[in-house]
Amino acid sequence: MNKDIIRASSRKGLIFGIVMIFLVLINFHIMAATMISKLLGTNVLRGSFPEVRFMIIFLVLYGLWVGWSAVSREGTATGKLFEGLIAGITTGALVALFGLILFYLLETQTDVRRYLTNLSFPSINIFLLGLNGVGIPVHLGLFTLTGLVGASLKVGIRSQLFTRTVQNIKSFVNNLKLRITSLLPAYVHKYGKYFFYLVMLFLLFLLPSRWGAYNNFVFGMVGLYVILGIGLNIMLGLSGQFMIGIAALFAMGAYSVALLNSPIPHGVMLGFWPSLVVGMLVAVLGGLLLGLPIMRLRGDYLAIVTLAFGEIIRILLNSDLLTDFTGGPRGIQNIQQPTFLARPFNDVSYAYLIIIAMAVSIFLYYRLENSRTGRAWLSIKEDTLVARATGVDVQKYKLLALCVGAAFAGLAGGIFAARNQFTGPNDHTLMVSINVLSVVIVGGMNSIPGIILGSFALRGLPELLRELETYRLLVFGALLVFMMIVRPEGLWPSSRPDLEEKGSIGLQENIETEGKEGRGNG
Amino acid sequence: MAEFIIEAVKVSKNFGGLKAVNEVDLQISKGSIYSIIGPNGAGKTTLFNCISGFYTPETGDILYYGTPIQGMPTDFIASQGISRTYQNVRLFGSLTAMENVLIGLHNKLQSNWLDAVVHSPRFARENTWSMQEAVRLLDFVGLKGYGDFLASNLPYGLQRRLEIARALANNPRLLLLDEPTAGMNIQETTDITQFVRRLRDELEITIILIEHDMKVVMGISDRISVLDYGMKIAEGTPDEIQSNTRVIEAYLGPGGAALAEKYRTQRQKNNA
Repeated sequence: MNKDIIRASSRKGLIFGIVMIFLVLINFHIMAATMISKLLGTNVLRGSFPEVRFMIIFLVLYGLWVGWSAVSREGTATGKLFEGLIAGITTGALVALFGLILFYLLETQTDVRRYLTNLSFPSINIFLLGLNGVGIPVHLGLFTLTGLVGASLKVGIRSQLFTRTVQNIKSFVNNLKLRITSLLPAYVHKYGKYFFYLVMLFLLFLLPSRWGAYNNFVFGMVGLYVILGIGLNIMLGLSGQFMIGIAALFAMGAYSVALLNSPIPHGVMLGFWPSLVVGMLVAVLGGLLLGLPIMRLRGDYLAIVTLAFGEIIRILLNSDLLTDFTGGPRGIQNIQQPTFLARPFNDVSYAYLIIIAMAVSIFLYYRLENSRTGRAWLSIKEDTLVARATGVDVQKYKLLALCVGAAFAGLAGGIFAARNQFTGPNDHTLMVSINVLSVVIVGGMNSIPGIILGSFALRGLPELLRELETYRLLVFGALLVFMMIVRPEGLWPSSRPDLEEKGSIGLQENIETEGKEGRGNG
Repeated sequence: MAEFIIEAVKVSKNFGGLKAVNEVDLQISKGSIYSIIGPNGAGKTTLFNCISGFYTPETGDILYYGTPIQGMPTDFIASQGISRTYQNVRLFGSLTAMENVLIGLHNKLQSNWLDAVVHSPRFARENTWSMQEAVRLLDFVGLKGYGDFLASNLPYGLQRRLEIARALANNPRLLLLDEPTAGMNIQETTDITQFVRRLRDELEITIILIEHDMKVVMGISDRISVLDYGMKIAEGTPDEIQSNTRVIEAYLGPGGAALAEKYRTQRQKNNA
């Protein structure tokens, strides 16, 4: 019995230890400490290292996690604490062993950065908590202690006393809520939703002019990704076409606006508004041209072809072939700024423009989803063969979905290019497509709140916590895997509308009115 | 010609070397309930797939009201009034029952995406009408109150009914039912049998039925065809089929007819 516990817990501790070693090898501990430092309000300059105490916080959190996850379902409280202790000791021992090696490297001043790029001396020093050799037993002790504490935390939270307390608090809060809402007059219940919308609208109106250019930039990025996400969702979430090359459609919108509003290379100067429309049309055309050959493809094959499409467009933009036409790798600079009522755009007006574009996109999306067209798309996604046998012209609707989605992508691209006053091939890499895909999947397919949430999570947060930038791929991967396990349907999963009541009410009314008319005639 | 709603003339469909359907002739008259039976792998579902346009037969014609429809797109055939259900229930699982029926109504609506965006009068008219029609259809198949359930969450028997409701939404003149009572208990089977008869009597839909439950088949069919190894081995009224030697041998193996005869006389003796 005890042997089994020791074996299982030490195995868990071993895994956590190995993960910790890898995290140190990729310098993740420094990044984590930096982020903790920033979250706690101590800024860390780029290129410098965080203070040791934040490193300790990171290690403590990690140790708590070790203890927490070492606790198994069965067993007595002491047994569980024992599990946490064993796991903590194992992790600590492994990390200490690793620390010993690092300490040796530090002492002999052996530079291993030729092989392990991130293992610099200051990084090692901080990992050893600035204590050199003394840091090694400290690691062991720290993990043992935190493993025990983590386990006891879990035991405590799982205990009946705790759950009962939580329940009591919950019911108290619910009671309070009920009592407060019952005090409110009836119209609040009825119009509370609209009041909420009004407040949101007010905030959206007020914030851009107040919170500064940088926040406007970040917010605009999030908004553009919402539009892109809606466009992709029409292709992927509604009609079920695995499109990865949305960056190409985005590029078409962006380059249309750029080429028609820049002195070099063509000097057309058409103006922002008409060229935005042109950009959307070009993107639609691109979607159509892409759609025609891929109509018969499904699943993985479709994903590969659309991925290739995205790359082809980017490489074309980058190539010598089109340098005279699109500016090649240098891109297009000095894009003329739009004016509205003879006033030039600044960051606030762009924020408003993006809010309006976002609102229009959301509105269009909802109207399309809850219509014959939207249901035809959904049926194709669910079961193409059955959709066809139900009378849906599958090809037509698939193409339509690509075109409508492309229009959204073109819109986002056009605004993007004008706002940056520059666009080049590097703005339209595969990463853009994957970002948009992640936004839709992490947020929740077919769910607008989900897409907005996903955009904030994947575009807004990394922008605000710049340190994450270097680890974006890592975090993306981890987040996607984590999401797939914990919330396979996204942060805010979609729900289907309730329609039966709608139809039944209509029926009743019809019968009633028919009856009345009948009586009237009689 | 015209009294047959659908005719198959020497229809063949091969998969590699396998002749799944081999020169099958069918003549199904309007307003009848026609059953196709046969052992597993006899080619019944393949024949259905040929009629509904999933497969294009290699040779032969399928005539619908005298016009050939083989090789036409599936959605075109559906729009002509041929609906079907599937051997394994194939609903749009993550959509609600209402939405499933609304998708079934696709052919009867005209509003396009532009109508949906601007909410044109046509959209508004069709929207209310289709909602009411969907509720009416759900009511008709006995799914009242289940409209907002996800199709995949419905119990199996109701899923079968929903599938029929979706097929009916298309306003079919010909309905292909692929094993509608598979996996049902006796009560449910009786319900479905009565329901199928009601479809024919009230809605005047011609029905082709694939079914393994002989009680159902013999109870409601006007005519029956028997397939074995892709070939039609018998056709006739339920009584004719029951006494057909080839049919019995197809089910029971060589010598089965004699066995069945022995069983029958024995039973008659016991009864006497």
